[in-house]
Amino acid sequence: MKRRNLLQAGSAALGLSIAGVPLHSLAQARKGVVNVLVQPEPPGLMMGIVQNGPTQLIAGNIYEGLLRYNDKLEPQPQLATSWTVSPDSKTYVFKLKRNVKWHDGKPFTADDVVFSCDVFLRKTHARFRASLVHVESVKALDPLTVEFKLKQPFGPFMGIFENGTMPMVPRHVYEGTDFLNNPANATPIGTGPLKFKEWVKGSYIHLVANENYHQAGVVNVESVYFHVIPDAAARAAAFESGKVDIAPGGTVEYFDVDRLAKLPGAAVTTKGWEFFSPHSWLWLNHRAAPMNNVKFRQAVWTAIDREAIAKIAWYGFAKPATGPFNSHIAFASDNVAKYPRDVDKAKKLLAESGYKGEKLRLLPLPYGESWQRQAEIVRQNLAQAGIKIEMVATDVAGWNQRCNEWDFDLAFTYVYQYGDPALGVGRNYTSENIAKGSPYNNVAGYVNPKVDQLFAAGAREGDPGKRRAIYLEAQKILVDEVPVAWLHEINFPTLYRSRIQSIVSSGIGLNDSLGRVKLA
Amino acid sequence: MKRLQYMSVRLLQGLAALLVIATANFLLVRAAPGDPVSIMAGEAGASDAQFVSQLRQQFGLDQPLPTQLANYIGHILRLDLGYSYRQQQPVTDLILDRLPATLLLTGTAFALSLALGITLGALASRNAGRWVDSAVTVVALVFYATPLYWLAMMAVLLFTVQLDLLPAFGLFTVGADLTGVDRVLDISRHLVLPAGTLGLFYMAVYARMTRASMLEVAQMDFVKTARAKGLAPGRIQSHHVLRNALLPVVTLAGIQAGGMIGGAVLTETVFAWPGIGRLMFDALLQRDYNLLLGCFLFTAAMAVLFNLITDLVYTLVDPRIDLG
Amino acid sequence: MKSRFCRRFCRNQGAVFGLLVLMLVALAAAVGPFVAQYDAWDMAGVPFQAPMAGHGMPLGTDTMGRDILSGLVAGGRVSLLIGVVSTVVSLLIGVGVGAVSGYFGGWIDATLMRFTELFQAIPSFALAIVLVAIFQPSVQSIVAAIAVVSWPPVARLVRSEFLTLRQRDFVAAAQLAGQSTPRIILTQILPNAASPIVVMASLMVATAILLESSLSFMGLGDPNQMTWGYMIGSARTVLRQAWWMAVFPGVAILLTVLALNLVGEGLNDGLNARADGSGK
Repeated sequence: MKRRNLLQAGSAALGLSIAGVPLHSLAQARKGVVNVLVQPEPPGLMMGIVQNGPTQLIAGNIYEGLLRYNDKLEPQPQLATSWTVSPDSKTYVFKLKRNVKWHDGKPFTADDVVFSCDVFLRKTHARFRASLVHVESVKALDPLTVEFKLKQPFGPFMGIFENGTMPMVPRHVYEGTDFLNNPANATPIGTGPLKFKEWVKGSYIHLVANENYHQAGVVNVESVYFHVIPDAAARAAAFESGKVDIAPGGTVEYFDVDRLAKLPGAAVTTKGWEFFSPHSWLWLNHRAAPMNNVKFRQAVWTAIDREAIAKIAWYGFAKPATGPFNSHIAFASDNVAKYPRDVDKAKKLLAESGYKGEKLRLLPLPYGESWQRQAEIVRQNLAQAGIKIEMVATDVAGWNQRCNEWDFDLAFTYVYQYGDPALGVGRNYTSENIAKGSPYNNVAGYVNPKVDQLFAAGAREGDPGKRRAIYLEAQKILVDEVPVAWLHEINFPTLYRSRIQSIVSSGIGLNDSLGRVKLA
Repeated sequence: MKRLQYMSVRLLQGLAALLVIATANFLLVRAAPGDPVSIMAGEAGASDAQFVSQLRQQFGLDQPLPTQLANYIGHILRLDLGYSYRQQQPVTDLILDRLPATLLLTGTAFALSLALGITLGALASRNAGRWVDSAVTVVALVFYATPLYWLAMMAVLLFTVQLDLLPAFGLFTVGADLTGVDRVLDISRHLVLPAGTLGLFYMAVYARMTRASMLEVAQMDFVKTARAKGLAPGRIQSHHVLRNALLPVVTLAGIQAGGMIGGAVLTETVFAWPGIGRLMFDALLQRDYNLLLGCFLFTAAMAVLFNLITDLVYTLVDPRIDLG
Repeated sequence: MKSRFCRRFCRNQGAVFGLLVLMLVALAAAVGPFVAQYDAWDMAGVPFQAPMAGHGMPLGTDTMGRDILSGLVAGGRVSLLIGVVSTVVSLLIGVGVGAVSGYFGGWIDATLMRFTELFQAIPSFALAIVLVAIFQPSVQSIVAAIAVVSWPPVARLVRSEFLTLRQRDFVAAAQLAGQSTPRIILTQILPNAASPIVVMASLMVATAILLESSLSFMGLGDPNQMTWGYMIGSARTVLRQAWWMAVFPGVAILLTVLALNLVGEGLNDGLNARADGSGK
């Protein structure tokens, strides 16, 4: 599970003292310290190579991209100050900021951008590679200007400059080296507001302020500690006792979030996930009966009580999904057929589908309590409609294995949709994305040439109006065919001390906002 | 001389056992579904064939199994436990990093459980049948019957959340940068709950075993003889009964000690104690083969060592045992 | 012999109490599912209902509205089943290995002990987790895993007992009398080694139940069975708001394990010819 948190060392709560001086007065002298939770411990902090959640939470504040995105996913300048797009939507020119320095003091130039995109990330970043196929060339026109030339228009192109998708990495450190085994990976060097200080494995990661950050007056914290605590209840206790100031989405169980947010001095927000737009659903394996029958799939979707799940398993921190698009991403529309929960209707559809009563294997997502509860509720829902379910026990490795090898009947999952259907939705429904070995492509095995055509057209289209029409048609078809049973948009709540201001200042939330928070 | 011979034979046997364990673990772990590559690909949120094959090559998983096994055994013989690609560090470093915390926790808990257990057990056996005996037995039984993680959660609930007396997680207070005596005190405070929970849990075993054993020995002829000779009851207890009664306790303690080093997973998980148990569990979930096997091998080596020591102590104490 | 055993057993009040509790638990487990009002998995009530809130669910409901009492009864079945079966298997292996090893000594002893060390050297919980992960958590795999990690201590204990007893005069006498080896092991030495084994067995059933609950706590239980460990695990995160969800299954485990230990003590008293409970 991806989690992020910052917390202030509330040593006052402990009543500790050093040589007789109460610690809390020392804490006041060190006002700019924020303590965050991170779960699980990231495997590495070099964001060009490792892209999972905990890494992005921490390293997102070390590395930067050319652009930032606000909560409406509109691009804002960061390392690039301005940009122009050619009329045929095939040439993009970015002007870079002056006097930006890497954490080791060397200057940041257009050569770093070209190296990062064309050489480094091409080798190491799978998700970026998928976008890079549309790029014909990346050139440095001068030390502060970069030009991207595309093979054909690529609709979501302006949305891929976020620091998780396209982090800028220092050419002078990595050029000519073995990227994956470069010893510099242990001490990440970026341009961001926070610098890497120390990593005590199994305990914490320590970042400090970048005094030479290219934006003045923005960095108001002195130190940020990311604490590793494997037990969920211990994490909640840490927030409650004041040891930790920020509990990012998913680090604390949902019920505790509800309770802890009501404590004096605590607050909760669901902002900061607009870019990732997490979307969860139930895969149905089209390679076997009865999942390959559309009436059966419709029956499954109709039988699941999404409202109850949102309330009981997610404690209100999830919104029932109406279709394949998360409501935050571009071109999402709810002008599609509706499938409210109806047990009788589900039974009827089931009868029409020719389901013979065989037991089906349900693969839960082993990420935590809420996912487990959700799986149990779905099992009961389906049983009520007459579908026999056997729950499969699994851990994360097993879940990955089964999804990769298509060894399941029904399986839970959630993915990030990255703000644009061409980046985060198409891969789940187009036939060219059917391949063993990944749990994030078209695992269900759904094939519809019309849908393939629509998603291909949408990616190549530059005009937003035309894209909207294309994706509306795609959504309508998908909702009619129910290739998977969509469940929820998950609003990962971030729990924090209310005296921390500007805790979320972008569409990727804590991932690049931690260096910019202000302590009241 | 015979003892020395015995020891060297046992040592060689132990080393051979470790190699067998290494091989068995190697094969066992790879039978689990999924591998580190599929996990890392899953966590990255997106992957393609190039990414997967890159990782596979990096982890050395693209080679045939016998080759991988041969490489691994070769490394072991050179005392090289391999490299954890997940954590980007040599396995030996990772284990040594966690070793002090583990030794602190298990050592303290072990000492506590033995001291308390033997004392209570002796007390109970001396007052057998009276209320003291029942009280001790009940206390010991309750602690042993309670699930360890539940006990730990209750302790956190009481001492941290309600009373705010003791810290609930970690080895020391992060960010406080304490040194010297204050650091020692800080760590001690963090040690109380985990070592206390773990120690109380095992205390019960030793208490019961001591009591049962002492009662058995107290009925033996040589004790009756000592009593008939007019020796003071206290002396009989401490010199005759206790010494002999401790043999099964020593056996058990030896077994426990070896296993405790890698076995405190539950305690370390609940209290976020940075020990080897947690390292191993995380390595298992992440299918970090090298790290997992390294931890297994290390704890196996500890267990073999402690078994050897226990047997040696046992033969020293009970001359009737024939080593031949 | 038998009546002397019963007399000695019954003199231990704790053991009698333990036996009664065990019988109660076994009865509830056997009959309970047929008389319980709700299926353990049925979300029949309102979530987070406190005990005795007056809606027909005396022990309250859990986070999903499932009746806790029904859950306890269902869990008792599975826990007892897993505990007993895994211990039996474990004993068969352990006593076999330990007896042969302790009696024959020499290279047989050395080989068997190395084999035992092999298993013992790996931390039992970690090995159990790996085994359960490989074979996919189910009642069968959990029983097998628990049995596999639990037999070494039995073997070592039995071996140390046999090592000592082998030197005794009555064994030499039996050998001289020409008794066959299996006969000597089974009828001469084993009965004398029985009391620590019996005590250990009762501890082992208890440990097995605790081990199973720990596996469920870590998320490796059989997801189709409602067990006590699973109930505690799922209540872990709401402990402060809903103490009853974890307390009742925890108490169930506590009582059952306690009862097993008390019965073990009683057995020890009853079987041990010289340990007179009163001691005076």
